[in-house]
Amino acid sequence: MEVDDLALLEKARAGDAESFRALVVRYQRKVFAVALGIVKDQDLAWDVAQDTFLRLHQHLHDFKGESAFSTWLFRIATHLSIDAVRRERSSKKEDLDTVDEALVSEGADGILATALGSNPQESVLRKELVGKMTEALGKLPAAHRAILVLREVEGLSYEELSERLGVPKGTVMSRLFHARKKMQALLRGYAGLAPSPGRTAESEGSES
Amino acid sequence: MKDCGVFAHLLGARAGELEPEEEARLAAHLGECEACRARLADDRSTEGMLAEGLAEAAARRDFTHFADEVMARIPARAWKEPEHRGGLRALKAFLGRHKVLAVASALAPALAAAALYLFIGRSGVAPEAEEPGVEVVSETLSPTVLDTSDGPIILVNDADGT
Repeated sequence: MEVDDLALLEKARAGDAESFRALVVRYQRKVFAVALGIVKDQDLAWDVAQDTFLRLHQHLHDFKGESAFSTWLFRIATHLSIDAVRRERSSKKEDLDTVDEALVSEGADGILATALGSNPQESVLRKELVGKMTEALGKLPAAHRAILVLREVEGLSYEELSERLGVPKGTVMSRLFHARKKMQALLRGYAGLAPSPGRTAESEGSES
Repeated sequence: MKDCGVFAHLLGARAGELEPEEEARLAAHLGECEACRARLADDRSTEGMLAEGLAEAAARRDFTHFADEVMARIPARAWKEPEHRGGLRALKAFLGRHKVLAVASALAPALAAAALYLFIGRSGVAPEAEEPGVEVVSETLSPTVLDTSDGPIILVNDADGT
């Protein structure tokens, strides 16, 4: 039977290297996935994931059990990922956003849902698009990548997003909406689905 | 529908994230706005794809050495030694506290070898040349054995050889 996280954590706190290693092995891919979603570069995500476990080791005694261990670990990972993006951005002075705004604003809503069918979990198209997700994320601005990963991978609520990102709840909702719109526009492009010219989006807000 | 700009931002909310009043207004809007229903359908149809896509990307990466690299970056002093190595450590600590015993333990094999050497030397196994006087005396006083029909008769010589 698999030893639970807290039992491994307790042993690691007592100095048991093998228990700490077991936690690393258990979460390495998930932490890497979170980091990759935010920093978008595989090698940088690898470094961030390693730093996450080093930070975990430094703060083993700080975990109070107020959330799941994994939640606490992913919080470290996202914090380090966002820091890494800030450092990269300030050094490169760029924040790539290659989403075609026309695809976003021409009222293509509903096309993806129709193409993915009534049972999107089983769709072949869905599998293809899942394979394009990291590429699509890489085309979004850092702020949109971060909020999508925090919401959809880490599962944070609006309140938690507001706290984590240091922005009002209204900004969280607006930013999330625009991030989704851009992501869906990219997915339509990958799927070869042209936007419908007959419909117009009336919902574009000020936050992007 | 001019209110779409307001309601579209509420579409991604999970149960309990909106105030009851907001939820009611959103439900009413969705009832009459086809565009927002289409947006909601897109959100739902793509739900979970991001997490799956990232998990797939992570699965493609080779993590064989990841944990080793992490462990190598943590100082060894951070860890308690495993039990079998801990026993050796305890022995070293004991000997450190009892230095006479430690020296004796270290010299024990050499002392044992020396004792064995001396024992063998004194037991007569050593070469003849080392104790020639003993052999001469032995020859002078050696008994003569006569083998008779009644059995062996042993004649002991006197000190002068007769």
